[in-house]
Amino acid sequence: MHDETPYLGRWAGLALLLPMALLLAAFFVYPLAQTIWQSVYEHGFTARAYENLATSTLFFKVLQTTFVISLTATLVSLLAGYPVALHLSRLEPSRRVPYLVMVMLPFWTSILVKSFALTVILGYDGVINRALSFVFGEPIHIPMVFNRVGAILGMINYLLPFMILSILGSLLAQDANLARAAEVMGASRFTIFRRITLPLSMPGVLAGVLINFTLSIGMYITPALLGGRQDMMMANLIDFYTRQTLDWPLASAIAVVLLVISGVLVAMLGRVRGAGGMTEMAR
Amino acid sequence: MNFLRTLPGALVVPLAAWITYLFLMVPSLIVIPISFGGAGELEFPPRVWTLDLYRQFFNDPTWWGSLMESLKVAALVTVLTTVLGVPAAYALQRTNLPGRAVLNGLAMGPLLVPVIVLALGLYLQLAPIGFLNRTATVVLAHTMLAIPFMMVSVGAALRHLDPAYEQVALIMGAGRVRIFFRVVLPQLRAGIAAGALFAFLISLDEVIVAYFITGPETMTLPVKMYSALRWEVSPVIAAVSTLLTVISLVFALGLMWLERRDRNA
Repeated sequence: MHDETPYLGRWAGLALLLPMALLLAAFFVYPLAQTIWQSVYEHGFTARAYENLATSTLFFKVLQTTFVISLTATLVSLLAGYPVALHLSRLEPSRRVPYLVMVMLPFWTSILVKSFALTVILGYDGVINRALSFVFGEPIHIPMVFNRVGAILGMINYLLPFMILSILGSLLAQDANLARAAEVMGASRFTIFRRITLPLSMPGVLAGVLINFTLSIGMYITPALLGGRQDMMMANLIDFYTRQTLDWPLASAIAVVLLVISGVLVAMLGRVRGAGGMTEMAR
Repeated sequence: MNFLRTLPGALVVPLAAWITYLFLMVPSLIVIPISFGGAGELEFPPRVWTLDLYRQFFNDPTWWGSLMESLKVAALVTVLTTVLGVPAAYALQRTNLPGRAVLNGLAMGPLLVPVIVLALGLYLQLAPIGFLNRTATVVLAHTMLAIPFMMVSVGAALRHLDPAYEQVALIMGAGRVRIFFRVVLPQLRAGIAAGALFAFLISLDEVIVAYFITGPETMTLPVKMYSALRWEVSPVIAAVSTLLTVISLVFALGLMWLERRDRNA
């Protein structure tokens, strides 16, 4: 039973909330408003920045790159993450902990550390190329980093924990009796997976895909450090216009486009998972 | 026969899972052996085992200084996030002010907006008034990024808290301040500790906002590392990476321990 009476008066509540509200107003709301304002105001209201974007081949190329890389990274992390979620869901809860530590390790590692490590592993004379050279007895230098493959691999490494935990949630929520009933009635393991486990895990899959795609389109570090010249994404373009060409309105306009796209994705996620979807992932 | 039919299925899932487990773990852990290799070339496995890279790191004031700056910022962010976040989370649950839902959503906002957009906004806000390159602004910006995590951790702890304790204390004549400090806070300890650990780690690992708003004097370790990775990949980075990974790991294990203790309590 929940008590209805508030324990704090109006003023006490306000006093406790005010400091945080002020910080968020000054360092969250104001910068966002400033960005939107800067995109439409240069000595008077103007749509100049958006007109420039609409006619910019560079912008559309970057937009396309962003979507292609994000979609690929999301789909590969779904394919690589689903077996892990399935594996975790079949373990006894007490035996799950060490495996969860492995899944969460990249979540806790700095993205710079992971990017650096991937350049060492995938590089021209990296761990993989040297191992291949040793096995085949001739110098092998497969280009796997400072190109699109590198950017995507780096992103997948970052995205996988989110995908795995999202799918795991909907796998663990399933009623084990369903699978047991199907087994009694003679269904094979694969049939049980195809007809029961997989369809019932779709909400988790959908949420994972949305979370991964939302995180991907805003990525900055990974494409900058692991991608090539051709793999500039929206975040990198924002940085480019902010600090290289000093065209702040144009940088702001791109930021607004990014903000709108991720806003739509977050709203979709909210519908899939309920309002707490994103914050739940933070845990 | 049945056994033969289920064998592939029983093997495929663990095999596929282990490939992913390896891909998840190796990049985070490989930096540790590399960091004990020689200063000449980055190699795995290293040919010689030395502490040269660590010596280089601690002898170079720019590296060493940025680590100190990062630790200072992260410590301040942790304190500020706790001081601002805990009372706010409490007030959001224990009042019915109008606009509570809006404020709750606002506190989650930094989690939902791409960091690059916030970084640009802060840069546009601070650059014209000459407030770039200051420790205080980095601390405040990182606190903003950490607030959602504190709100989630403390909010969850508050939901498990039985209001009856507060009612009893109130009936027995305790003042509201006393109730907050003597009845509420002790029960929120694990939630607050988890939020504080999150805040510290988020600040310590944050690159993008810091890259936009810091300067040569206030450069944090991730910014220094990012520039180093972009312009000259020096082997010292392996030592820096190991230090960062070890710090993160200690804190992450601390968080997991807190959560388990919480669940058992």
